[in-house]
Amino acid sequence: MSTADQVRAFRGMTRAGTRSVLIYRGDLITGAVALVIQVVLAIAVWRIVYSGRGPVDGVDARTAVAYAAIAACLQSVLLPWQFSTLPMRIRNGQIATDLTRPLGLIWQVFGQNLGVLLGRLPLGAIGLAVAAVLGALTLPPGWAAGLLSLVATVGGALVAMLCNLIVSMVTFWTFEVSGPLMVYRFGSAFLSGSLIPLWFMPGWLRGSVEWLPFQAQVYTPVSIYLGQTRGGQALALVGVQLVWVVLSTVLLELVWRRARYRVVVQGG
Amino acid sequence: MAEQTWLRQYVVLERAALRAQLQYRVNFWTTLMGGVAYQGTQLLFLGVLLGKFGLIGGWGFSAVAFVFAMRLASHALYVVPFGALRLTDEMVRDGEFDRVLLRPVNPFLQLVTRMFPLMSLGDALLGFGALAVFGWQAPVDWTPAKIGYLILAVVGGGLVETGIQTFFCGLSFVATSTFSLRIFADSSITQFSGYPLTMFGRATFYAFCTLFPMAFISFLPATVLLDRTSDVPLPTWLTTLSPLAGVIVFVLGYTFFTKMMPRYTSPGS
Repeated sequence: MSTADQVRAFRGMTRAGTRSVLIYRGDLITGAVALVIQVVLAIAVWRIVYSGRGPVDGVDARTAVAYAAIAACLQSVLLPWQFSTLPMRIRNGQIATDLTRPLGLIWQVFGQNLGVLLGRLPLGAIGLAVAAVLGALTLPPGWAAGLLSLVATVGGALVAMLCNLIVSMVTFWTFEVSGPLMVYRFGSAFLSGSLIPLWFMPGWLRGSVEWLPFQAQVYTPVSIYLGQTRGGQALALVGVQLVWVVLSTVLLELVWRRARYRVVVQGG
Repeated sequence: MAEQTWLRQYVVLERAALRAQLQYRVNFWTTLMGGVAYQGTQLLFLGVLLGKFGLIGGWGFSAVAFVFAMRLASHALYVVPFGALRLTDEMVRDGEFDRVLLRPVNPFLQLVTRMFPLMSLGDALLGFGALAVFGWQAPVDWTPAKIGYLILAVVGGGLVETGIQTFFCGLSFVATSTFSLRIFADSSITQFSGYPLTMFGRATFYAFCTLFPMAFISFLPATVLLDRTSDVPLPTWLTTLSPLAGVIVFVLGYTFFTKMMPRYTSPGS
């Protein structure tokens, strides 16, 4: 298959992924309502916690509230519950058909995951719009910070998708993956900083979190956007994202090389 | 007699479901850890938040952690026996519900025993562990009556959650995908029911008592035990009766479920 064909096939997978999200309208609407309520409550919690207090650890109420709102939206786009159909396909034997397709399995799943992410973008936008109406959003300190946070968002999405794929691959060995996925979900919810920014974590916790890939997914883009991380430090955080993209790509390739010899097709 | 056979059916089916799940050893342990880790996240969050800010809505860590523990113990009472309900909308969508209708066993019972939710054991471990630890540390002078009330409250909370989830199962017969709705209910309860709910303002608080009856899961009975009923904009006798809400919510949910079931249409092939 030529490169052009492969790109076309990849795009097809992406479109299918997006459509799999958009087809369940009711689900999408409840998803949006749910996110809005979650954003509103998260804003309320942080406003109540601060209630008239000055900056805590150099972070004022406005910044903390904006962080909570943006992080909730970003997380709902990046890390939905059912990110990949790979575990299901392995379990019910559909994997056999997938493997005969001319596009490599990794690219198929990656394309589909990207599609799901794109399909969920409107959700995040609605959440952000509500946060803006409630006066919870702030603008980035400058053009450079805004642009860099955009780059960091893409970087964060890449790290999230790669990690997700690696965890899904475990199914080739265990068949059931809900357990590892839950541990992963825990990792992404707390360690990515989407529940609470790294600023407020005690030193020992923050020290360990900084060595993990999760903070690159949510904390990095949002803290750059809010101007809490600036200049060289911000660039360094984006550099760390890049390192995680490279590391997890290598790891994914290694896992996949071993996994393909583990394929057992279930059912007939 | 009828009730006995119900229970026997439940035990037989649930045992088979548990056996099916225990096939995957690695998954068993990671799932158990996952359950503890997922709920532990919320506790960690509350710990970090209150470690930094001291009070939230006038409540300190010992009170908030106690509410959290009650909530998780209630959650365990829902999710261990009834957790498989979350598979309902998938079964309705794939047409697997056809099989349920063909068998001579109550459909609700079959749905509940469709799969044993392993992760729930992690929830139970952490929930009852936390209840022992934070119940000890909470500013409550424990008497046998208060312990009895606590048990009633935890059971009631479990029934509230079961009722809400059963309601969603009923909804899945007409709405095909209720996945987002259920995840939303689950994550709202996980994330927000640990807070003193009155802090969100009166209107929101009343919504938590009626529309989405999360306040009954642990907050209202906890105010009785913590002697903080004056925080609640409801008559004290009503707050005290809050554990009874579980029965009401469950009966409502189950009635809705049975009313909606005839509207199931098998997806064509």
